[in-house]
Amino acid sequence: MTDRPSILVPLRVLEGEPLEPGVVELLSGARVVLLGYYEIPDQTAPGQARMQFEDRAQNRLNDLKAQFEDADAVVESTLVFTRDGDETIERVAREENCVATLLLNPAAAMDDVLVAVRGDRVIGRIAAIAGSLFDDGTTSVTLLNVARGDERVPKGEALLEHVRSELIDAGVEPARIDARVETARRPIRKIVELSEAFDAVILGESDPSVMTILFGEKSEQVADRFIGPVLVVRQPREEDVTDGATE
Amino acid sequence: MGDRDERASASPGRNVAGEAPAPEPVATDDDVTVHEDGTELERTIGLVGGLAIGIGTMIGAGIFVFPGIAAGEAGPAAAASFAIGGVVALLVALPAAELATAMPRSGGGYYFVSRALGATYGTVVGISLWLGLVFASAFYLVGFGHYAAAVLAEVGVAAPIDPVIPLGVLFGVLLTALSATGTENAAKLQNVIVGVLLVILTSFLTYGTADALGVFGAGAVPEQFAPFGVGPIFSTAALVFTSYLGFAQVATVAGEIKDPDRNLPLAMVGSVVIVATFYVVTIFVATSAVGSENLREFGETAMVEVSREFFGVAGAVAILFAGLLATFSSANASILSSSRSIYALSSDALLPRRASEINLRYGTPHVALAMAGGPIVVLTATGRVELLAEVASFLHLIMYGLICAALIALRRTPPDWYDPDFRMPGSPYLPAIGGLASFGLIAFMAPASIVVGVLVMAGAYGWHSYYARDVTLKGKL
Repeated sequence: MTDRPSILVPLRVLEGEPLEPGVVELLSGARVVLLGYYEIPDQTAPGQARMQFEDRAQNRLNDLKAQFEDADAVVESTLVFTRDGDETIERVAREENCVATLLLNPAAAMDDVLVAVRGDRVIGRIAAIAGSLFDDGTTSVTLLNVARGDERVPKGEALLEHVRSELIDAGVEPARIDARVETARRPIRKIVELSEAFDAVILGESDPSVMTILFGEKSEQVADRFIGPVLVVRQPREEDVTDGATE
Repeated sequence: MGDRDERASASPGRNVAGEAPAPEPVATDDDVTVHEDGTELERTIGLVGGLAIGIGTMIGAGIFVFPGIAAGEAGPAAAASFAIGGVVALLVALPAAELATAMPRSGGGYYFVSRALGATYGTVVGISLWLGLVFASAFYLVGFGHYAAAVLAEVGVAAPIDPVIPLGVLFGVLLTALSATGTENAAKLQNVIVGVLLVILTSFLTYGTADALGVFGAGAVPEQFAPFGVGPIFSTAALVFTSYLGFAQVATVAGEIKDPDRNLPLAMVGSVVIVATFYVVTIFVATSAVGSENLREFGETAMVEVSREFFGVAGAVAILFAGLLATFSSANASILSSSRSIYALSSDALLPRRASEINLRYGTPHVALAMAGGPIVVLTATGRVELLAEVASFLHLIMYGLICAALIALRRTPPDWYDPDFRMPGSPYLPAIGGLASFGLIAFMAPASIVVGVLVMAGAYGWHSYYARDVTLKGKL
C-alpha cells in the first residue's frame, strides 16, 4: 500500500458548509488535513472572534473530523481565525506537506471522476493521489487532456498513456480507466463543460502568472462553475521540505 | 520564538460583574498565535500593511489640517515644531517597538503598560487610548468637513449655513455605520490610499522645494524664521503632536503582524521618520510659497491654496482630493484602533465583556464601534479643531510617557518572559528623555485641553476603583 497522500480540506467552519457523503468517500484513502477557518473582517481582532466563536467552531470541527474517521481516513484538524483565508490555506498546505487541496462542493456518490491532465509538473502527484483514492475498484476514472489544436493531439495521447500506466501501477483497475483527448481553444471552458457528467474533478494547479493574479486560480474558476468537489493538485513549492511524504 | 511562554499561576481576580481576564495565548511565532487547545490566529499584516496603518493614520493631520494653523502661530519656525514633535515621537517609538516585539499582542500601549505597571495604570492608559482616539478621530472628521466644504465652494455650490460641521458629522455617522456593517477588505484599500497620497505629495513637494530654492528663477524671499520667538515653537509642537499619533496604532494590531520581530520595529520607526520628513518639507514649501501670514488666513485648507499657487486649478483639485482621502483614512484608522482598545480592556475584564461582542451577521464588533463612533460624532459637532487635537495628544502623551516608564521598569527587573528581539539603544537614558519629553510637551498646551484630559484620566481611575479593583495584570503574559 502506498503512503497516504496528505490532502487539505479547507472549510469555513461557521458557515455550515456541509460535508457530503461523496466527499468523505472520495478521501477515505487519504490523510485528511481538515482546516476549519473563520474569516474575520478588518474591524475585528482575531482574538475577539476567538473569544466568542471558538467553542462552537471546535465542536463543529470535531463533528466533521468524526465523519472522516468513520470512513477510515486519517484525519488531523486545525482551527484558524484569519483575515485572509487564501493565505491560511496556503500556509497550512505548506506546513502539512499537502499534495492537493479539495475545493468543497456537494457530492452524493463517487462513481465517476474526471482527471484533467495538462503537460504539467504535477503528473506524478496526480497519479499517486488517484492511485491511493481509487484502488478500491468502485470508482471509474476518466483521464482528459484538452489540446489547444489538432497538431497537439498526439502529444496529449502520449501523455495520457503515460498517466494511465502510472495509475495501473498504483493499483487502479485498467478496465476502470478511460482516456480521451479533446481540442478546444479555451481548455477551462471545455473541462467545465465535460465535467457535468462526473461526480468530482481532479486537476493541477496553474503556474503562478499575471493571468492567475488577475483572474484567479483556474481551478477556482472550475470549482465556481462545477457542481461537485474539485481536488486541486498543488505544484511543489520551493520551500516544501519533502515531496508529498506522510509525516 | 515559538517557545512556550511562562504562565503566571496566581489568580488574576475578577471584576464587579464576576468576569476574569481571558487566558493568554500559549505561543507565538512568525505566522500564527496559538491558543490553549490548538486554535490558531493567523498573522496577515506584512511590513507594507504595517507602514500603511502608521502613515495612513498620521499623514492626514500634519499635512492637510495643521500647516495653516501652525504657520500662523509660529511662522516658518513651525517646521521646527514639527521636527520637535518628530523627535519626541521617535523617542517613544523606539521603546514602544521593543515592547511590541516582546509582547506582540493586540492592544498596543495599553497592553505594555498594564503588564509592566499593573491594572490601575493599565485601565487609565486603556481608557485614555480609547477616548484619545475618539478625540483624534473627531479632529480628523472636522478636517474632513473643511475639505468637503472647500470642494463644494470650488464647484460653486453655495450653502445657506457653514457646511463644515454638518459634513464632518455626516461622515462620522457614515463611517461608524460602514465599519459596523462593511465586510469589504478595508486594509487593502488603505494601502492603495496611502500609496496614492504619497505619490501626490512627493510630486507636489519636489516641485515646491525646487521652486523655493530658486530652480525655476527667483527663489522665494525668506521671511524671518521665528517671528514670534521661541515659546510658540514649543506650544505649536504640542498642538501639532496629534500628527504623530499613528505609530502606536501599529502596536494595537501587533497580534496580527507577520514576522513581528522584524516588521514591528520597522513599521513603527519607519512610519515616524517618513511622516516627519514630509511634515517638515511641507511647512518649508508652504511658508516659502505664500508666506506664513497668508497660510494663517487660509486656515485648515491652506495646502489647497499653496498648490493653486504652483499648479493652478488642477493643483488645487489634486490637493483637495488628497485631503479628503487623507483625513477620511485617518478618521477611519482611528475608529478601528479605538474599538481595538475597547476589546483589549474588555478581554482583560476592565470593561464589561459585552463591549467586545461580535455581530453575528457582519462579524464586526458592533458594541465597541458604537462606543467609539457615538462620542466621535458628538465631539465632531463641537467643531473645536485645536481643542480636539490637543486633548487627543494629551491622552496619547500620558500613554507614551508610561510606555517609556514601562520599558525602564522591565529592563530593570525583567520577568522571565521578557525577551524582546529588538532592543532599543541608550536605555535607560533615551527612554527617560522620551518620557520626560512626552510629559513636558503637555505643559505647553492650552489650559482647557489639560483640564479635559485630566478629567478623562480621573474618570478612568474612578472606573477602575469601582469596577475592577480586584483584577491584577502586572507581570502576566
